[in-house]
Amino acid sequence: MSERLNVKDLITVGIFSVIIIVLIFIFGMLGYIPILMIALPILAALICGIPFMLFLTRVNKFGMVTLMGLILGIVMFLSGHTWVPILVFTLCAFIADCILKMGDYSSVKNSIVAHGVFILGVMGNMLPFFIMRDFYLNGLRSSMGADYVNVISPFINTPVLIVLIILTFIVGMASAYVGKIVLKKHFEKAGIA
Amino acid sequence: MGLGLNFTLDPKTKIIILAILSFMVFNDVSLYISGILVLIPFICLFFSNHKKSAIIYIIAYIAAKYVQIYILPTATGLLAIILITFSYTASRMLPIIMMGYYTITTTKVSEFIASMEKSNIPKDIIIPVSVVFRYIPSVFEEIKLITNAMKMRGFGLNIKSLKNPLKLIEFYMIPILISAVKTADELSAASLTRGLSNPEKRTHLLEVKFTRMDYVLLALTIIGFGIYAFNFLRGVAIA
Repeated sequence: MSERLNVKDLITVGIFSVIIIVLIFIFGMLGYIPILMIALPILAALICGIPFMLFLTRVNKFGMVTLMGLILGIVMFLSGHTWVPILVFTLCAFIADCILKMGDYSSVKNSIVAHGVFILGVMGNMLPFFIMRDFYLNGLRSSMGADYVNVISPFINTPVLIVLIILTFIVGMASAYVGKIVLKKHFEKAGIA
Repeated sequence: MGLGLNFTLDPKTKIIILAILSFMVFNDVSLYISGILVLIPFICLFFSNHKKSAIIYIIAYIAAKYVQIYILPTATGLLAIILITFSYTASRMLPIIMMGYYTITTTKVSEFIASMEKSNIPKDIIIPVSVVFRYIPSVFEEIKLITNAMKMRGFGLNIKSLKNPLKLIEFYMIPILISAVKTADELSAASLTRGLSNPEKRTHLLEVKFTRMDYVLLALTIIGFGIYAFNFLRGVAIA
């Protein structure tokens, strides 16, 4: 129950955090195309399913997923997002951890839902845009130019935020399902899943 | 340029500066303050063994600022979008990217762990973060190697392969993940032999402490941040 994490667990958390960070950043580059910037959490959800499912095969204690969320949040903060991701990521990861705990870390169904929740943490990168809408639009206008803002501004409002959260959740679950299939196809054969 | 000019910083200083720089990235700061803050990564890089990247960085930054101030207001259409992309990336992200690059390349893992343990941060956070620091460069190395291997088999990064994004993702992801799992096993074996799992307090060969340079750079950053915060609050009060 309250088993402490050993060094091996901590290193696993570190390694998989790196993979997810690199994936999010590479796809974050697509954010320069105006519409895709809004769709970033969906892209992240789409792509992170495989590594997350592989990560879960290594998880059997409470706290590893939460810790991963915290690490991701810290790295996001240090790389120029605001401090919001630290909170959001840790919170989402904690909920995901609880869901996994209910399935005893082996239920496939719970893993899939957990990925859906976990990946909502990426919304933390976007939330400031929605909460402090005008402030950021002004900032963007001076830095990205009026064209960019004109394209992007109709999309920044509460309904879009809600749709985005739901879509991210669904895509996250779908991609976790795909991740499960890929796991079977590639990793179980190689004996590492 | 003698080697005597080079200095090393305490990992804590690097992280604090990185945090403050990343705090300011989203907002437009008036030129003279951001000037100071932009110079900090430059100074750090220049006085370690990264003179070339320091100079490339400062030139790219100046070019981006120039574009932003003098060319952007009059540009329109597709050209504007390209220019925006370039100048936005450079002027916003470059200082942080360079500071991150500096932090990652010049901090030894043992140094980092020693410094963090000194400030009583729990091990559960120190170990994953130090793995992150250590492993990010290797991932990019690996991506390069995989790209080469794919080219050899006639599936390079080109239009043809971009038409098939699922395959592309699969071909990149699977080798990276397999090597990640392997690395995790190897690293934990290595750290077990080094006694990282020992719950006793560790002793360190390296002594980490703040030097004069740490204080100077920290003071500069904090002054810059103070002015920024002051301006920001005043701006909010007026608006």
